[in-house]
Amino acid sequence: MTAAPAPAAGVALRISEVGMRFGGLWALSEVSFDVEHGSVLGLIGPNGSGKTTLMNVISGVYKPTTGSVTYEGRRIADVPTHAVCHLGIARTFQVVKPFASLTVRENVAVGAMYGRYGGKRSTRASFERAQELLEIVGLARVAERAASDLTIPDRKRLEVAKALALDPDVLLLDEVMAGLNATEVEEALELLRDVNRRGVTLIVVEHLMKAIVSISTTIVVLAEGKKIAQGAPSEVLASPQVIEAYLGSRWVKRQAALKEIEAQRADAVRVQPPEAHG
Amino acid sequence: MIPGAVLRRIGLGGITGSPIAFVVALALMGLLLAVPLGHSGYLEIVFRNILMYATMAYGWNLIGGYTGYVSFGQVAFFGAGAYCSALLSAHGVDNLFADVALACVVNALFAVLVGLPVLRLKGHYFAIATLGIGLALADIVANLDVLGASGGLAVHHVDEAHFYVYYYAMWLVALGAILATYFIARSKLGFAFVAIRENEEAAAVLGIDATRYKITAWAISAMMAGSAGAVFAPANGFLDPSIAFSVDSNVFPIVMAILGGVGTVAGPFIGALILAGANELLQRYFIKVHTLFFGAMIVLVVLILPRGLVWLFGLRGGARTWLKSLTAFRA
Repeated sequence: MTAAPAPAAGVALRISEVGMRFGGLWALSEVSFDVEHGSVLGLIGPNGSGKTTLMNVISGVYKPTTGSVTYEGRRIADVPTHAVCHLGIARTFQVVKPFASLTVRENVAVGAMYGRYGGKRSTRASFERAQELLEIVGLARVAERAASDLTIPDRKRLEVAKALALDPDVLLLDEVMAGLNATEVEEALELLRDVNRRGVTLIVVEHLMKAIVSISTTIVVLAEGKKIAQGAPSEVLASPQVIEAYLGSRWVKRQAALKEIEAQRADAVRVQPPEAHG
Repeated sequence: MIPGAVLRRIGLGGITGSPIAFVVALALMGLLLAVPLGHSGYLEIVFRNILMYATMAYGWNLIGGYTGYVSFGQVAFFGAGAYCSALLSAHGVDNLFADVALACVVNALFAVLVGLPVLRLKGHYFAIATLGIGLALADIVANLDVLGASGGLAVHHVDEAHFYVYYYAMWLVALGAILATYFIARSKLGFAFVAIRENEEAAAVLGIDATRYKITAWAISAMMAGSAGAVFAPANGFLDPSIAFSVDSNVFPIVMAILGGVGTVAGPFIGALILAGANELLQRYFIKVHTLFFGAMIVLVVLILPRGLVWLFGLRGGARTWLKSLTAFRA
């Protein structure tokens, strides 16, 4: 895909022709897609395909080498990093970044203080909001602990709580379910569905295919920095390009060869005369 | 002891540091009010210097402790404040309030001007750049005839009988620094500073304009150092570049803040009291080798109590927590 699709009615984020070069390597090239208001966009791709780079471009941490990301018509690249969340875009980091010496509640309260309203919310109101969010993500039991004492799954929860504290319209989630067990994944999905029902647009990067299929309305697949597929979850996963990107061309060929052998075997079985069974 | 709920109500604990230490620090400040009553000129000067270094330690604590930008340039602000008083005195103005006010305004502007380029640097680079500010300013002053050049100039001096005025002025300035730190630490500003210290990128993603808050921290710290200088100059009665920009007034406050507890409200004051007190005693009893003992003492405290003396007040969990703290600082 090279040309961006025609503008839809409820486009929140428009990623058009985004390319990102690091030295001689194009981590992203010519990536274009729209994210509709209130939708859940799943972003998948093999390791190193550029998912996190794209998240960094969308959240304004990186300025794209070519192309642009616009949010409600404004170019993200023109907005300083700290002002992106004032627009209503929040993100989590794949490598979590808690403020280690602050307590869990303080970590979330900082987001509530400065996030959407740029320091206009009072300290008391921020702490109350933080407590609410900790209860929602299930961290209320460790609210007074130092963030550095948290386990990895709890740090992921803290990242989500910090991002939610920014009162976002668009929330970018970078592998927040990695390291969670099956029950915890279910809980996390329920939480994200709930957040989405309140009108927050989600962009979700995740390796857990089951999770992403169950929550996304649209899936975009990246491979080697390029968009190779976009569409509803079921059609995207059936696409041969996607299977090839994930499992390699040799796997696809072997799979095809195996199918042929199976077919021949089935034929062989079918031509057996019926008396052979007796 | 004061119950925890009361302490939380008044906003202590968390990033303000140990609440008990803060109460102890305020009580000690109260006791220091009595020093001039002893009519000992020597003790008055010793304790006035302790208050002066404490004020500068609070200044350093805001930028180096809370915001995490280790500055070696605080002496520049101290010197600038001192020369503000000297200038006012040369123009016949003899008012400590005017001295402190002018020092605050000049230093805030100076800090913003220097901070805009310098605060873009991080870590060692920032430290080295700030070291240059003090050295450069000392050289500039040494070549300005208006400020007495390298020969120095006299600053208005009240008569011996009213010498205590300077002591109480320094006491007020120190109290101002303690209270300002207390109110900043529990405010949104304090959380912005700490967030920048912990992770500047993550702070920006949470909506904190790092440049703006770094410059704010640096300007307030410059005002603290400048106020100390503004009271010091007339109290000392004479000023030249080697006095205004001395190595001692650059290094002592940093060591005091670290010794007492970096990024806490009580730490710098407690560090100043203990360090300056120990220095005075060592000088008296080991006149030839006192710096050796002094250095050894600092090394030992930093090794044994890396989080500073204030941390002793909040010690729970005994030896195991203490051992953990030792390893935590050597990663």
